[in-house]
Amino acid sequence: MNKAVVNPTHTERKKRVKVSTRIGGIAMDVVLWIFSLSCIFPLVWMAYNSLKLKRVFNADKLAIPGLFGAEMPTLENYTRILTNPDYHLFESMWNSVRTTAISILCIVLFSFIVGYILSRIKGKWNRPLYLLFLSGMLIPIHSLLVPIYVVFKEMNMTNQWFTLLLPYVSFGLPMGIFLVEGYVKGIPVSLEEAAAIDGSSFSRTLWSIILPMCKPILVTVAIIQVFSCWNEFSFALVLIENVHLQTVPLALTQFKGQFGSDYPKQMAAMLITMLPIVILYFIFSKQIIKGMVAGAVKG
Amino acid sequence: MLQSIKPKRSTILLYLLIPVVAFVFTVFYPLCRAVIYSFFEWKGGPNMTFNGLANYRQLFADGVFWQAFGHNIYLVIVCIIGQMGIAFILVMFANSKLTHSKGVHRTFGFFPSTISAVCIGMIWNIIYLQDGLLNTVLSKLGILTGNWLSWPNWLGTGNVMLAVSIPLVWQFIGYYMVIMFSAIAGIDNEIFESAEIDGANGFQKALYITLPLIKNTILVCLTLCIAGNMKAFDNIYVMTAGGPGTSSMVMAMYGYNTSFRDSNLGYGSTISVAIFVLSLAVIGGSQWLVKRATKGVEA
Repeated sequence: MNKAVVNPTHTERKKRVKVSTRIGGIAMDVVLWIFSLSCIFPLVWMAYNSLKLKRVFNADKLAIPGLFGAEMPTLENYTRILTNPDYHLFESMWNSVRTTAISILCIVLFSFIVGYILSRIKGKWNRPLYLLFLSGMLIPIHSLLVPIYVVFKEMNMTNQWFTLLLPYVSFGLPMGIFLVEGYVKGIPVSLEEAAAIDGSSFSRTLWSIILPMCKPILVTVAIIQVFSCWNEFSFALVLIENVHLQTVPLALTQFKGQFGSDYPKQMAAMLITMLPIVILYFIFSKQIIKGMVAGAVKG
Repeated sequence: MLQSIKPKRSTILLYLLIPVVAFVFTVFYPLCRAVIYSFFEWKGGPNMTFNGLANYRQLFADGVFWQAFGHNIYLVIVCIIGQMGIAFILVMFANSKLTHSKGVHRTFGFFPSTISAVCIGMIWNIIYLQDGLLNTVLSKLGILTGNWLSWPNWLGTGNVMLAVSIPLVWQFIGYYMVIMFSAIAGIDNEIFESAEIDGANGFQKALYITLPLIKNTILVCLTLCIAGNMKAFDNIYVMTAGGPGTSSMVMAMYGYNTSFRDSNLGYGSTISVAIFVLSLAVIGGSQWLVKRATKGVEA
């Protein structure tokens, strides 16, 4: 008897909840899409505005060239940037590529060595060494700009092709070391013991047994450092004055002055320098995100 | 550990030599030099005169420096609320069963944090122009009327701090999102299921289950957020260079201006030391505060 009375109201309430949750779901989807699109929008907006001339851009900042009666797209900004030797865009991209590649190689190599030794070889010096590198993560780079400038100047190390390697490697090392150290802890010691019993030397075990096993964490270290080296600005600003040794971020700030209020040209220059990173990101986004998160949380 | 895999002392020394020397040379040696210079009157030339604590006395009385420090704290607070708050809400939305395409939001949302701060600053400069994208959109929506010369200047004195913090917040929301995603993925699903059976709604689940369970991750985010904003420099350098006047000055920018634009390396070193001490104090203080606060909750 009672059931018959209760049931209709119960299902009715359920239906009402369903409608409201569905609206809630749509609302949440809308919020998420607004956020996601806002993250991509500047890229898209820059891409199509870099195809306008300054005059066209100033007249309308939203119109898509060639559509709805807007002026046709032009590659003039790109050809001007790439053909004018004063802008030396490819030179700075090459500088960035070289600095980033060598830095990463050194960071991965040294992180592996130091991380492994810190994790496996115990001694009185182990703890102090660990703390030495840990404290490196706490030192804000901007408190080192002045003294590094002075020290490098003394030793005639500013304005060289290798100038930026030292700070990039040194500031990349601590996080790399801690990631490797934590990772090696998870590898059973019995592996190295077996190798030692079979007569493998310390170095041989290190390079031919441990190194291949550490590949995943070393890839993570490399991913994190690609972005921080490619995007680094402060050290480059202070240590590099020679325009032919500028890295990309530094060159961009210079374009900002050179191009004045020619914003489409600025956009074209930014897009050219962003291209490698954008391509890399959208191909390997899963691995990159995973690596960056691992670095942030464990480091 | 077996004796058999213990390598010779000299082998370890050889392996550690280069990374440790490089690290000490670029991080600790300059830091010591900065401390020494901070007691000198030195304009970059050959003349260096010891002036005791005069630089520090000047620092304590330096209104611009403390204004800059205040701006750093402002950025920290805005970014904690903006980045972490918005990230948490968006993560809750994306994890809800009612929404779709979590992977796309993650990939798109993370994208801005891979772009250099220099690029981000230049893009937002164009957005903030008096006849820039923001004002254009506002006028198309009918919020702004009249000639563009009467439109608000977002990088003007009054609202410049808010204007420079918006790109910062926007750039890193996705970064904190993916960290929180990975933390939540580690929570046992059964907890949510049993809460659902008990009748908890999405809001209650977020507040009473997810938040306490990812407390450690939130703490990591908090530390990253504070450390990141204490060293804010690149964006500010590109967008306003601390101006108009000193109304968006941050510590690193002031240190840079003093040391390199005014080539006052002595006082610049004092500022460097102050940046170091204040950053550590704020990071350490906030951790102490959080630990104390959460201890009270648990007890």
